[in-house]
Amino acid sequence: MSQVLPPSVTKLIDAFSRLPGVGSKTASRLTYYLLRAPEDVSLALSEALVELKTKTQYCEICHNITEDSPCPVCRDVRRDQTTIVVVEDPLDVVAVERTGSYRGVYHVLHGAISPVDGIGPDHLKLKELVERIEAKPVAEVIIATNPNMEGEATAMYVKQMVEPLGVKITRLARGLPSGGDLEYVDTVTLMRAFEGRGDMK
Amino acid sequence: MGGGREHQKLTSISHKTYFEPDMQIDYLSLKNFRNYARLELGIPTGPVVLHGENAQGKTSLLEAIYYLATSTSPYTNSDRQLINWQVANDILPYAQVGADIITTERIMSRVEITLIMESEGTNRFRKELRINGVSKRRSDLLGMIGVVMFLPQDLMLVEGSPSQRRRYLDLTLGQVDDEYTEALNKFDKVLLQRNALLRRIAANYASKTELEYWDEQLAECAGVIIAARQRIIRELEGLAQDYHHDISGGREDLQLVYQPSFEPTVEGDGQQSFNLFGMDLHREMDAAEIAPQYREALLDNQKEEVERGMTLIGPQRDDLRFMVNGRDLSMFGSRGQARTGVLAIKLAELVWMKEQFGAYPILLLDEVVAELDARRRAYLLEQIKHVNQVLLTTTELSVLTNGFLSTATLWQVEEGQISPINSVDA
Repeated sequence: MSQVLPPSVTKLIDAFSRLPGVGSKTASRLTYYLLRAPEDVSLALSEALVELKTKTQYCEICHNITEDSPCPVCRDVRRDQTTIVVVEDPLDVVAVERTGSYRGVYHVLHGAISPVDGIGPDHLKLKELVERIEAKPVAEVIIATNPNMEGEATAMYVKQMVEPLGVKITRLARGLPSGGDLEYVDTVTLMRAFEGRGDMK
Repeated sequence: MGGGREHQKLTSISHKTYFEPDMQIDYLSLKNFRNYARLELGIPTGPVVLHGENAQGKTSLLEAIYYLATSTSPYTNSDRQLINWQVANDILPYAQVGADIITTERIMSRVEITLIMESEGTNRFRKELRINGVSKRRSDLLGMIGVVMFLPQDLMLVEGSPSQRRRYLDLTLGQVDDEYTEALNKFDKVLLQRNALLRRIAANYASKTELEYWDEQLAECAGVIIAARQRIIRELEGLAQDYHHDISGGREDLQLVYQPSFEPTVEGDGQQSFNLFGMDLHREMDAAEIAPQYREALLDNQKEEVERGMTLIGPQRDDLRFMVNGRDLSMFGSRGQARTGVLAIKLAELVWMKEQFGAYPILLLDEVVAELDARRRAYLLEQIKHVNQVLLTTTELSVLTNGFLSTATLWQVEEGQISPINSVDA
């Protein structure tokens, strides 16, 4: 195949194939689409790719991805700067924002503790969280790491580091999905829902 | 030999009163499973003897039933191997095991497990479980149908490696205890992380304080695992002792002992401390009691575990010991004594399963009868005659007693085809 196709085409196919979730077939399809599409489509894409790396940076306060530091959320005076949701990744911020009901700020750790992958507490923005709380008083830290083993390990670590600072620490509840059917819920989820049950309001 | 050549095709050998619950496989269908391209088979109750040369498909039939009950194969960890090699080059190869089963509530259910290739050309297979046409999880299969499988390699249970004995406990408990299976799976994942962390600590990439979370998780799972194992061993022991007494002519006293992993004590010149966690081995403990003791033991061993880069104590190192008259059979027993021990625990397992399910499980005996001497063979056949459904494979009908053959359905297995045998010339 490599003999038939010009190097500029195979180069793009290879570049696409390296992306997560993209196999060689999808990569070829995307490449041929761009070949046939008007020039401004590929120019817009290349521009976007360059800006992705040149224009973005981590917010100096919450470490979310932003073009201007501090990020719009951290600069927003209408938001409650004394409540911090701690998440693993920038996409988790997007998920919480989608709820439209959270009015505090964030702290992005950029990962979760996983010794097998060589990721320890030092690789996460944990020290930065402590420094942030020490610099400016915080009322509550809400831990919203993923409810899996690595997320739990990270949550535990956040708790250990933040606890001595005398801040209220909470963890997102685990339980039943809304609109679900009790009979189809797996046992672990149901057990957690029992453990985390609350008073009826 | 002699007389009674006319074998009646009895579909039900009933030694029970009619209201006692049963558990059975009524009908089995296989598609591309091992060497069966396609098989549709009604299975009677009572003993079924599968006779045939080697590599004709006798064992695969037992494997299919075991797979239906547990969604795991007793022979292989790779589902890939279950798929008929002749379809491996098809565009989307798949294999399917299905059965109509009658559960203890006398409800007929259709269970189907299908293995489908994830996408063309890959070696990954998706397992789909359906019960009465509805997609279900593996845990939903639990408790529907119980099986006890007795393989020739089980005869090495006493003399074999500790990992073989742990696997035996895991598979047996896995059939009835969902919490156990969950704890076991989680334990393996935590263990992997913890061992990685121990190596990182040894290399100064991480600090010991990071162990706390993993220790806690490990201890929580270990508590569940150890408690369940202690309980099943205690129960199996009680049942196995009677069988063992019978087989050994009352001369021997069998004890099954769960042995938590331990470190040899330094000053005891080779003397091993039997009881690391200070557990009273003759008293059952619950998970909540065991977990904190295990956690403390982890702390005591921390220095050495960091040096060795691995977790040295825990259920992944524990063992089940067979003791006769106070002596460990794996070290001091004869081959015959070891086999008596295995036979006793397998018969005990059958009754234990019956107690768990409320009805006899399906008994699958693969070539094991031929491996036993005449006396143990006769004893085994006598003990299993009350079991509702027994499937047994053999290359030689002559290893079976006439009394047993006269009650059994006889099938000839040849190149993935099954046909009834009407007369026996053993």
